[in-house]
Amino acid sequence: MRNIYLIARREYLERVRTRSFLIMTLLIPVLMLGVTVVPTMIANRVDGGPKHLIVVASSQAMGDAIRAELEGGRGQRDRQELEKNVKRGRNQTGPPRFVVDVDTNAGAGARAAFTERLKNKQINGVLWATSDALAAREVTFITSDLTNLTENFGIQESLNRVVRQQLLKGKGMTDEEVAAALRPVELKAQSPLGAGAPNPEVLFLSILAMVMVLYMAVFLYGINVMRAVLEEKTSRIMEVMLSTASAKEMMAGKILGVGAVGLTQVGIWVSVSAFLSGSYLMAGADMLKSLMSIKVLVFFAIFFLLGYALYATLCAAIGSIVNSEQEAQQLQFLVAAPLIVSVVIMVNVIQNPASQLAVWASLFPFTAPLIMFVRIAVQNQGPPSWQIALSVALLAATTYGLVIICGRIYRIGILMYGKKPTLPEILKWIKYA
Amino acid sequence: MFTIELEKVRKSYGQFVAVDGLSFKIEQGSVFGLLGPNGAGKTSTIRMMIGITVPDSGGISVFGRPFTRDCLNRIGYLPEERGLYKKMKVLDQLEFLGQLHGLSGADARQKAGAWCERLEISEKLQSKVEELSKGMQQKIQFIAALMHDPDFVIMDEPFFGLDPVNAGLLKDVMLEVKKSGKTILFSTHRMDQVEKLCDSICLINRGAPVLQGSLQEVKSRFGKNHIQIQYEGDGAFLENNPLVKSSNNYGNYVELQMAPGADAQQLLRMVTERARVSRFEMMEPSLEEIFKEVVGKADA
Repeated sequence: MRNIYLIARREYLERVRTRSFLIMTLLIPVLMLGVTVVPTMIANRVDGGPKHLIVVASSQAMGDAIRAELEGGRGQRDRQELEKNVKRGRNQTGPPRFVVDVDTNAGAGARAAFTERLKNKQINGVLWATSDALAAREVTFITSDLTNLTENFGIQESLNRVVRQQLLKGKGMTDEEVAAALRPVELKAQSPLGAGAPNPEVLFLSILAMVMVLYMAVFLYGINVMRAVLEEKTSRIMEVMLSTASAKEMMAGKILGVGAVGLTQVGIWVSVSAFLSGSYLMAGADMLKSLMSIKVLVFFAIFFLLGYALYATLCAAIGSIVNSEQEAQQLQFLVAAPLIVSVVIMVNVIQNPASQLAVWASLFPFTAPLIMFVRIAVQNQGPPSWQIALSVALLAATTYGLVIICGRIYRIGILMYGKKPTLPEILKWIKYA
Repeated sequence: MFTIELEKVRKSYGQFVAVDGLSFKIEQGSVFGLLGPNGAGKTSTIRMMIGITVPDSGGISVFGRPFTRDCLNRIGYLPEERGLYKKMKVLDQLEFLGQLHGLSGADARQKAGAWCERLEISEKLQSKVEELSKGMQQKIQFIAALMHDPDFVIMDEPFFGLDPVNAGLLKDVMLEVKKSGKTILFSTHRMDQVEKLCDSICLINRGAPVLQGSLQEVKSRFGKNHIQIQYEGDGAFLENNPLVKSSNNYGNYVELQMAPGADAQQLLRMVTERARVSRFEMMEPSLEEIFKEVVGKADA
């Protein structure tokens, strides 16, 4: 026991003291933030001032209606966003997105002229909303930002509303009646647990974040164990160590030491985010609290530890049979593949947590750590208890079996230098009691 | 009292027999040489002595009792495949290795400091291992094997790669260790390096012992039948001489091995009649020559 402690302690201290630990601790949240938030910010960015659009309409009245919708309405989605921001106390109106000129000259020559102006970047877009086009429900939008999907979708929404408004007005409705008829419905998904339950969007994103942490922790620290074993092999310190500690003690010490580094790192992230959400996002904190129920946190810990133990043991065995970083990389896919599969099917599982795919994947030990956790976090009543129990039992049993098998591979592998052993050779090591 | 006893130890890896029926005992306080060419089974034997591997058959007793892992705190081992944690500081590294051998942290640091002073590398205590030269790293490993004051020291190719100054320094330390009553096992294929240090030896080849006993005994078994002669004159008469089994002539200096039963005095008379002799010396054969002869015979 003392040897395991000493080996784990050395592994822990040497890793925590390195600069790369500090950098990774800071960088990973920044990276995750970067992957999720920055693209959205970039997509929603308004480039230098409002865009200049020309609306070509058959009548001035129709053109004005579209202009009003584009300039003032700012689209239904934006309005909801605006309302939310107001509720949160952040009154952010921002500059208008479009400046619209109406033109009633819909001849072919006009179209060519506008296109020319567009090419010369004097305007940003031409909306060909003649009465024929509107009647056919097919409006041409000539734009230099062809792929700005959110903006195009907003314009489409505005046109939809104008067409409906005009139709209803044509039936003799008053402005108030039209507004009442067009008032959108908002769908409020709610969990059976009641009003305290988290907002589904927040729930989805938080679960995604937690699973990503789980995935990265299991994968990164597993690979770290592999590197640590490989380092001892290539630096030839293995035999010095073996003259005082047994192979089992070395493997256990390595896995525990690197695991403790992982716990430290995750601990730092959790406490920092708890602190941040506590002090800056008071509104979000309630949601976070209800989401991070004790049950979810306990299962996070269980699946983190078991998942890590499973993959780290596998990695230790791989580290012991290879001789170089290159060889190790070839075998890393063994570890990466089930984790990547887990992440790929995860989105489906979040949406259908009781599907057959979800059930099987949450029982299969190599995908269970991520998938069962997702099911527990998503389903309000949670999956049936027997499934959780079976999943944990299978995972624990597989880990135990793997410890024995990999222990045997490790014990012999660490003393083998030179050529990589073949599969039959490794099988022989496993049989060798 | 024997520090270690091997009794008909055998170890095979698949078809390959690494150690085949090896038995020897090492007396406490003596220096023992485990000698043999590359691949003879020396490292395999040592690994079994310290429990890294388990013999297929045969018995190993350490300090008078069958081997258990508790013995390891009383054994110091410098393996042939040696290494250190490259990114660790020397002092931290020695502390860690000392602790693994049962020392307390403070004790290990204090001993590490004392040893580094003795081996003239105390200014490197706070350096990372990767910043040190190879010779310095070897000294650190040497310290790691000795700092917990083991009763039994095993050194696999201890002088390999060292310059003469450092080899001398380490040799002196080993002699002191011996003087304090500890048992030392040297394993090497460079027999000239340990010849002067060993009390007894075991020569192994292809996993099996070919010659063993005290150094004196082994050498006397091969007798003083080597002669060096320095002379002026014509040495042609030494060729095809019935008294001489083989010779190696350098012009006015010759090394030769006498034929079995030949009398050295008769040869001396013969030489003085034909040439001016400035030196005539009867020599013990070196271990290397003995080894070549024994192994050559075994292989033939």
